[in-house]
Amino acid sequence: MKHLLSAAAVAAVATSPALAGEIKVGSVAGVTGPIAELVAPIVAGRNLAVEHINAQGGLLGGDTMVMVLADSQCDPKAGVDAGQKVVNVEQVVAIVGASCSGATNGMVQSVTIPAGVVSISDSATAPSITDLADNDVVFRTAPSDAFQGAALAKLAHDAGLKSVAVTYSNDDYNAGIAKVFVSSFEAMGGKVTANQVHEPNKASYRSEIATLAGNGAEGLALFAYYGGSGITIIRNSLETGSFGKFMAADGMFDISVIEQIGAENLKDNYMVTQAAADPENASYKIFAEAFKTTGMDPAAPYASHGYDAAFLIALAIEKAGAPDRSKIGAALREVANAPGEVIRPGEWKKAKELIAAGQDINYEGASGPVDFDENGDVAGFYSVNTVGADGKYVMEFLR
Amino acid sequence: MEQYYGLFVYGLSLFTMGGIYAVMALGLNVQWGFTGLFNAGIAGFFAVGAYTQAILTTPICRDHLGCYGVSIPLAMLVAMVFSAGVAWAIARICIRLRSDYLAIATIGIAEILRLVFKNEIWATNGPRGVSQIPKAFETLPAPWNALAFLAMVAAAVGVIYIALERARSAPWGRVMTAIRENETAAAAAGKNVESFRLESFVIGSALMGLGGALMAQYLKQIDPNVSDPLTATFLVWVMLVAGGSANNKGAVLGAMLLYAVWSASELLSTRFLMLLSSDSIGALTHAEAGEWSIRFAYLRVFIIGLILQVILQMRPQGILPEVRPKPHPRRGGDRAPGITQGRKSS
Amino acid sequence: MMEFLNFYLIPGVVLGCIYALGAIGISLTFGILRFSNFAHGDTMTLGVYITLSLIHLTGLHPLAAAPVAMAVTSGLVLGMDRLFFKPFRQSATIMMVIASFGLMLMIRSAIQFFWGVQLHALQPGIARPWVLFESFRILPKHVLIIGATVVLMMAVHLLLTRTKIGKAMRATSDNPELAALTGIDTEQVIRATWVMGACLAVAAGVFLGLDTHVETMMGFKLLLPMFAAAILGGIGKPYGAVAGGLVIGIAEELSAYPWIGTEPLLPPGYKAGVAFAIMVAMLIWRPQGLFRGRQF
Repeated sequence: MKHLLSAAAVAAVATSPALAGEIKVGSVAGVTGPIAELVAPIVAGRNLAVEHINAQGGLLGGDTMVMVLADSQCDPKAGVDAGQKVVNVEQVVAIVGASCSGATNGMVQSVTIPAGVVSISDSATAPSITDLADNDVVFRTAPSDAFQGAALAKLAHDAGLKSVAVTYSNDDYNAGIAKVFVSSFEAMGGKVTANQVHEPNKASYRSEIATLAGNGAEGLALFAYYGGSGITIIRNSLETGSFGKFMAADGMFDISVIEQIGAENLKDNYMVTQAAADPENASYKIFAEAFKTTGMDPAAPYASHGYDAAFLIALAIEKAGAPDRSKIGAALREVANAPGEVIRPGEWKKAKELIAAGQDINYEGASGPVDFDENGDVAGFYSVNTVGADGKYVMEFLR
Repeated sequence: MEQYYGLFVYGLSLFTMGGIYAVMALGLNVQWGFTGLFNAGIAGFFAVGAYTQAILTTPICRDHLGCYGVSIPLAMLVAMVFSAGVAWAIARICIRLRSDYLAIATIGIAEILRLVFKNEIWATNGPRGVSQIPKAFETLPAPWNALAFLAMVAAAVGVIYIALERARSAPWGRVMTAIRENETAAAAAGKNVESFRLESFVIGSALMGLGGALMAQYLKQIDPNVSDPLTATFLVWVMLVAGGSANNKGAVLGAMLLYAVWSASELLSTRFLMLLSSDSIGALTHAEAGEWSIRFAYLRVFIIGLILQVILQMRPQGILPEVRPKPHPRRGGDRAPGITQGRKSS
Repeated sequence: MMEFLNFYLIPGVVLGCIYALGAIGISLTFGILRFSNFAHGDTMTLGVYITLSLIHLTGLHPLAAAPVAMAVTSGLVLGMDRLFFKPFRQSATIMMVIASFGLMLMIRSAIQFFWGVQLHALQPGIARPWVLFESFRILPKHVLIIGATVVLMMAVHLLLTRTKIGKAMRATSDNPELAALTGIDTEQVIRATWVMGACLAVAAGVFLGLDTHVETMMGFKLLLPMFAAAILGGIGKPYGAVAGGLVIGIAEELSAYPWIGTEPLLPPGYKAGVAFAIMVAMLIWRPQGLFRGRQF
């Protein structure tokens, strides 16, 4: 009976014929699960790239690029399952994703590396992904968080802070950045007065804050997701008057932090780094302008990385000349890295013509130059964001 | 051709994950189906098994305990023993709790275990988890590696199934049923109810630990999210109740079927959206389909909940209801078997 | 000393109030319908989102919008009872538990489908505390939450002791067979239980939303502490649930107080475990709860 039923389900899926003139790319993301609210803009970024590509002639001989979404729930179990579905059933050419590091680690080790399918993650930042023996199929446009912790430490040091208290949410992403921050800040001669983990999603953090403030510190370095615990911690700290200065990384970069705490309360005392593109950079400007039509904030964490990942895969397919899995990896490096004629977001038509003419191109993405190193990682580029009088973030690119 | 090969590989993955869940559902069947123990902390025993397997076999130990170089089969055995040991310690204090109370106590313990795995970073790498876990047969060429792994899982399910079927019709199993149906009478018949309950709890939990050990290999990566109560506890319960509690075939069937629904429902919803946005129908533009795809992910969870309600109401005893072992007809056999009777928790 | 009051005790009391209101509903469902309702937390979330929509539509203060949301949520919950729980009145407990689990998934995904997953605030901005006696600080909204909780508790008390339906509820919770024999309309009692549980859950959710923010997982995250509170107080004992909620809320906050030396007693990463540990200990050593609830 079970065979019949599952066979029926598989048959229903299989018999729906692959539509002619479509090239499928997997889009694996944690759309449900603990960071659902962060994932929505990232997926929108990926979809925007696809929209640009299809509007300007599509892939190869005019094929439509189709993103097949699969939910990785931020859980390795779901990540592996999502990978199986897009690689084997949907027969995608390559994959953008997954979102969380754990789900990405599971998916690439169990599915995509053995199958030889290229994946570009736009938000997995765990350093452990760098170490994988991946036959050169695992890439990411999101920088390993080893970079961001160091960037923030330098920023705190340069701002003249001598001592900070550190608290981080107990999840893979924030724990990783906090670790790097502490060691970098101490290496610069700063003092970490308290370093404490907290469990996300609690209704109140006042007692944690009291302990953190106990040893006296000039500021609080807060590594958390804004929805999980970050906003609550800032709110509780300001309400109790325990801390007046906050440093945070990009899990906290969201406009709702300002909306909920109030710009007047955060002015001059909140700085948040973000893996970001240079806002003065032409590539970012093009992306930001286009992304506004989706109704979402172009500066949302990793939205621009999502755009770049999807755009790069399309370029690699175009470069390879065929939707052939085995050729994507090598083509990817050619289109992403120098040398070559610079291609910016939205310039699909130009890129297509150059590739057709046999010329070398170099994609300069919205999130940065996206030049892959031998591990498939990109260098980290960060901005520091403060709160302006108008209740918006004021972004300054770190050079 | 490629497409059919892909479906074949995906089918292997469905059966593998379904099989791993079947191991856990069989473990739960020992506890709930046979003896009536309401264990709602499956995720805890699963996590003990998964982390034991990961730490004993993983050759990298920069960020966590490890580098013990234990072979995969031995580690699986140790994982079962550890889970059984934890279960024994818990059962020593909790086993006399009835029904819902045991459920809530075990949920609490499982969550505490999860906090331990998350917070004791020196041992488990905390939220980052353990990566590059060795997997049995992974050096074979594809698809033989996946087939061999599936064969191992299937063998585990088969051996456990046969052993449990034997146990069920043996005196041991009949005492368990007696305890489930009427504990006082079982005690009056001179059975040491508490030690039988404890045995059942420990055996079931060892199987959940084995499920964890298999899962850790299959995923090659574990972190605290793997023992999320939603997919590591409640899903197993749904599988057992939908398949048919107290029926080992039902447990296996429920696991396979529900996992297939859980996983494949996404394919159907994706296809549906792609169809709507295809050129021939054109109800949605591609851009709109992209926006809707996220909402469809929520809708899918809704539909899974609805399917569960329908199964519950249409087949309250599960797809395969309990069948009493044949060779020993019981007096009063006209009583409705299974979970609709004698399990009221008051 | 003041630090203890400001940072540990007051937040603990506020959290305890929220747990307590939610736990009453769980305790009553447990006592009268005899099952652990996993959908209770998401019922709370649903009520908060309805409140949020009302605020957006009418610009009312959250506390003014909440009663309307309570009525709407109660209606929805009665519909859910009819569809998903009524068929199992005579079945084993596990059927209703699993049905409630399915319902939990359905409510949450429906909320995510209609409202999306972004965070919202019931009241934006932060409130500066009132400072009394030089160093005692308390936030206006905390006074509001504690005060409103006291009022609600009194209403619950009056309802349970002075009205016919309230007495019938208590009787059914204490001894259902006897209550049915004395001619109490069980279905009516069940409906009253759902309505009361839903209203209090919405109140708890709105208070939590006022204290922090609104998101789709907020109710689910409170579910286990609320269970713990219900058990601690004794199943089927609404007053016990109140006491249980307060104890759990305060204990969670106090576990991080540096009782010995300057380090927190318990690493804050384990704070969430406090409720579970209390719950398990209670089940083992005093399963009838603090207030002699029914023992299963």
